[in-house]
Amino acid sequence: MSVTSIGTSVKRREDKRFLTGKGNYTDDMNRPNQTHAYILRSPHAYAKIAALDVSAAKAAPGVVAIFTGDDMKVGSIPCGWQVHSKDGSPMKEPPHPPLAQGFVRHVGDQVAVIIAETYSEAKDAAELIEIDYHPLPAIADAKKALEPGAPPVWPDVAPDNLCFDWHIGDKAATDAAFEKAKWVAKLDLINNRLIPNAMEPRAAIGDYDVSNDLHTLYTTSQNPHVIRLLMGAFVLGIPESRLRVVAPDVGGGFGSKIFHYAEEAIVTWAAKQIERPVKWTAERSESFMTDAHGRDHHSHAELAMDDQGRFLGLRVATIANMGAYLSTFAPAVPTYLSGTLLAGVYTTPAIYGEVKAVFTHTVPVDAYRGAGRPETTFLLERLVDVAAEVSGIDRVELRRRNFIPPDAYPYQTPVALQYDSGDHAGCLDRALEKSDWAGFPARKAESAARGKLRGIGLSTYLEACGIAPSAVVGSLGARAALYEVGSVRVHPTGSVTVFTGTHSHGQGHETTFAQVVSDQLGIPIESIEIVHGDTDKVPFGMGTYGSRSLAVGGSAIVKAVDKIVAKGKRIAAHLLEAAEADIVFADGKFTVAGTDRSKAFGEIALAAYVPHNYPIETEEPGLEETAFYDPKNFTFPGGSHICEVEIDPDTGVTQVVRFTAVDDVGRVINPMIVEGQVQGGIVQGIGQALLENCVYSEDAQLLTGSFMDYCMPRADDVPFITVDHHTTLCTHNPLGVKGCGEVGAIGCPPAVINAVVDALKPYGVSHIDMPATPEKVWQAIQAARPAAAAE
Amino acid sequence: MQTPIRFLMGRLIQEVVVSDPTLTVLDWLRGSARRPGTKEGCAEGDCGACTVTIGTLAGGGVTYQAVNACIQFLPMLDGKELVTVEDLATSDAALHPVQQAMVTEHASQCGFCTPGFVMSLYTLYQSRTTPPAREEIDTALAGNLCRCTGYTPIIAAAASMFNLPRPAAEPPVALLQQLQRGEALSIISDTGQRFDAPVTLDALADLVERFPQADLLAGATDIGLWVTKQHRSMPHLISVGAVATLKEIEETPTVIRFGAGVSFADSLPYLAKIHLDLERLFKRIGSVQIRNSGTLGGNIGNGSPIGDSMPALIALGATVTLRKGSVERSLPLEDYFLEYRKTARQLGEFIVSISILKLENNSRYGTDKISKRMDQDISAVCAAYRLELEGGIITAARLGFGGMAGVPARARAAEAALRGKPFEETTIRGAMDALAEDFSPLSDMRASAAYRLTVARNLLLRFYLRETGADDQEAAQ
Repeated sequence: MSVTSIGTSVKRREDKRFLTGKGNYTDDMNRPNQTHAYILRSPHAYAKIAALDVSAAKAAPGVVAIFTGDDMKVGSIPCGWQVHSKDGSPMKEPPHPPLAQGFVRHVGDQVAVIIAETYSEAKDAAELIEIDYHPLPAIADAKKALEPGAPPVWPDVAPDNLCFDWHIGDKAATDAAFEKAKWVAKLDLINNRLIPNAMEPRAAIGDYDVSNDLHTLYTTSQNPHVIRLLMGAFVLGIPESRLRVVAPDVGGGFGSKIFHYAEEAIVTWAAKQIERPVKWTAERSESFMTDAHGRDHHSHAELAMDDQGRFLGLRVATIANMGAYLSTFAPAVPTYLSGTLLAGVYTTPAIYGEVKAVFTHTVPVDAYRGAGRPETTFLLERLVDVAAEVSGIDRVELRRRNFIPPDAYPYQTPVALQYDSGDHAGCLDRALEKSDWAGFPARKAESAARGKLRGIGLSTYLEACGIAPSAVVGSLGARAALYEVGSVRVHPTGSVTVFTGTHSHGQGHETTFAQVVSDQLGIPIESIEIVHGDTDKVPFGMGTYGSRSLAVGGSAIVKAVDKIVAKGKRIAAHLLEAAEADIVFADGKFTVAGTDRSKAFGEIALAAYVPHNYPIETEEPGLEETAFYDPKNFTFPGGSHICEVEIDPDTGVTQVVRFTAVDDVGRVINPMIVEGQVQGGIVQGIGQALLENCVYSEDAQLLTGSFMDYCMPRADDVPFITVDHHTTLCTHNPLGVKGCGEVGAIGCPPAVINAVVDALKPYGVSHIDMPATPEKVWQAIQAARPAAAAE
Repeated sequence: MQTPIRFLMGRLIQEVVVSDPTLTVLDWLRGSARRPGTKEGCAEGDCGACTVTIGTLAGGGVTYQAVNACIQFLPMLDGKELVTVEDLATSDAALHPVQQAMVTEHASQCGFCTPGFVMSLYTLYQSRTTPPAREEIDTALAGNLCRCTGYTPIIAAAASMFNLPRPAAEPPVALLQQLQRGEALSIISDTGQRFDAPVTLDALADLVERFPQADLLAGATDIGLWVTKQHRSMPHLISVGAVATLKEIEETPTVIRFGAGVSFADSLPYLAKIHLDLERLFKRIGSVQIRNSGTLGGNIGNGSPIGDSMPALIALGATVTLRKGSVERSLPLEDYFLEYRKTARQLGEFIVSISILKLENNSRYGTDKISKRMDQDISAVCAAYRLELEGGIITAARLGFGGMAGVPARARAAEAALRGKPFEETTIRGAMDALAEDFSPLSDMRASAAYRLTVARNLLLRFYLRETGADDQEAAQ
């Protein structure tokens, strides 16, 4: 009897606790004798702290302790990726103290921590702290920060605000390609700055065991082992053996909970100072001004074509905002996670990309759902639409002419990556069919009859997930490895606990990973528990981001289970008095090939733990295996997204009315969960394209600091979304999976904006920056009114 | 010994001695009640993660409404039933249909917003027995943010939950009747904070006159934020929530009179009878949770320049009645707003009611709201128009605008440009030009001054086109 559930929509095992209010999130936890921390933050974008007096606050009711930068002299929060400039010099890397050392550099920067018996008392006491700030000129716009005379964020480290000036590709070859061009498409665009807004605000509890000198940090993290490494080794100097990091249920991350944040170090450090647990939970306004933001790229791009519309060369120059400090993965986002994707799904032979990364007086910018790939995809897919306009070649046909053909795989791009598989024309064909592309003119006419402008747009994208192998990313500047760890403990009676170094915060690993192990071991899902999020339980791990969990973490589990099966075969061979080579394992049974003699998986487990009749000379008792899996390559999901919008020309209000996604995410283990990931990503993409925008004033005050001012998608913003697949398997991991967590957020925005521009074509609109708010669309229409009227 | 407040939770009577009258229901649940299922996502009524359901005795039964626990103060629960996410499943094996439908549709990912969605859907489930239309689902979910699912599966669950067997449940009428008070609840905490909830209008008038510095509390949708966001301490709150007469609605052939304590939600059916535009507009004020708590009187009393009910009511011709001691006075709503956040309400005075002139046969009325998104958003421009026509001539005009000035205001110049003129496009265009005399709007992040003025002009034109059917004709061409 087979128990495989791979490819079926097993209902999620985590749902019951979430739906009955029994989830266990960091802020739901309370430690005995716990205190509460309030972090006093800078109201200024840039200021010198001339004087800081906490004496009155220390005497306030309930206050246990107050610490400032003078008290907390610890290491700097490290950046996990070092990028080098064109001239070979390393990026400028300013210090990042958990509590400000004399200067504050963005609104929300940590100045002091007030610890009291209640949160309310801590907050009250904070009002008694006297700070003499000397405000300094500040800047939020990365482009302007590069201009001569712009206020410097780090006068000593980077007086010109330039963190690095990086490039990729062959400049000479690319310039030569432009010489031969029949047509050149050009585009300036902004990838709008976003605020992640996971629904669970960040929280952290520091706990210190005085008797044993052990630290525990409970935190809202996507990667507890990484936090342990960064905070333990670089900031607080605590060895891994004395530091436990627990990330329990985490309420969404989207990248923003990858990074090591100051508050984690503050509560861990402070708990030891006061010998009591210290709990901190962000208010939503703190989430807005301290969670790492996303995107914020300004780019100029040019695409050269021959007379057949074949892409000859691509050059891109990008200015990327880093914020005031370098967050964990920040330098990698506009470079190795963006520039390396410039080929997209096309055979462009010559590519050259440049990136200037810039310090500004804003919250650090780092990976946010897609991390670099949405920026590149938006740029490329908008540029290809402009190229279609310039060349007069239909945008679908133009894409087809330039697709990497299926027989070209593995395909080496001119920007470092080697793609292993894909079928872009296949994805596109299916998307055109599913979206009824051919029927669009009729729908457009129907909209026109109601006074509405209708547009259709597509994007054909490819992205890179499961970033690896470690040796390669190390050579590109990563300061950590990017393998994953899976550990499988078979218990004496045959139940199984699986430990994974990845972390689930919405992705449903407890279900999907159990499906994988159930399939491999031939035992029911109910016999398998998935454990994650605790450095004391899980041997090691790099966490969940970049859609890596199944491709890398799942593969590690498969490898560990392989070892279990191999050992099981040796035990079975002994028990069945057969040669090891003759034992086959299938459907949960070890069988002597060609006979009906077999041992069930549970019997082997019991034999391993009760080794009365056991190959004790050659095998240790017990049945537990661990695998570290370092992938051979990235995985490359891709697909085609098609969007239809309807615009009210009087108000500029734009609605997405249809959306079709045909993605190639490799093998699908649980279609329901994959569809959920894709749908959620698409709606975040619609959010970026139409609604969301992080706005700073000229002098770097955050203007969009609440849900009232930062426009998140709500239920009525969501169109009917068709999600479908056109699958090619990943060739280098055992499951054939590629990753699905980010495809929606990557493929969607250009499809939406291409649709908006298509709808506005009668007004001569050739580009509109995100978000395409009613006012922006309306302004675009107004600007072109005379031209349209003349038609 | 302090007077405890009494309410139902888990079908048991809870008696709680309130040490801080501004402790929110959410903080109480997550703290001493040890019910952490209800989450804090923003503490300002925007995200809905804290949604709970409140049962109130009404007409011999119990009415269930979703509210934001993050901005409800604990004493406001007195005499009510509180239902949280922990109460729905009767056992581990028996999920409530709402929960079961969410499992089936994959409507939960990270699980953090989930309890709030469960309670919004549970309230929807309590209100009807058949699957609602998409628009009604959107309305029910407008106050809940989810960052993971993209909403589609939640919307599917909102429909499919009605197809599951309905659990038997009797509303706890008798228990709630036991909890009703005959006289005022008065709490004075150890720290001297005071909370009064009188049950009669006279008692309320007496309290407000005796304690003119006290803050009047209605739905707490704004005062809640003063506590959670501004960390203000509220030394004395007088709640109008238990005064039954303030929740009354009286209707005559020409006038509807709303007690100041009538919630937006309860006023909706009456407003819808006046004009469908009003129903459309009021459905866009806040979210279901906010409309269940927020009151017409509170919205006016608060004096916000961007309250969306004001332009619509001003255009209709609303009067507000105030009372101080035993003396009442009435004034036109537009005269209530003096300048930014300043109103005509005097110390010791409170709003008793709002009276609205119904439309007549020859009235033309309309209202529009322009904002970045449909739900739970501050308007860039909110507009309302009421014209009386006789033989094609405009005999009277009232135009109310929000977002165009420091207070909600009438467009007097534009009104003058309409009065006495034929109801035709040239007249409307004249009024559109006159709007520039009425308003010099601000530019801010929501919209530029030019956009606001242009949109205000165009809304007036759109109203005309809508009323004359030219809108459809134009569209057809």
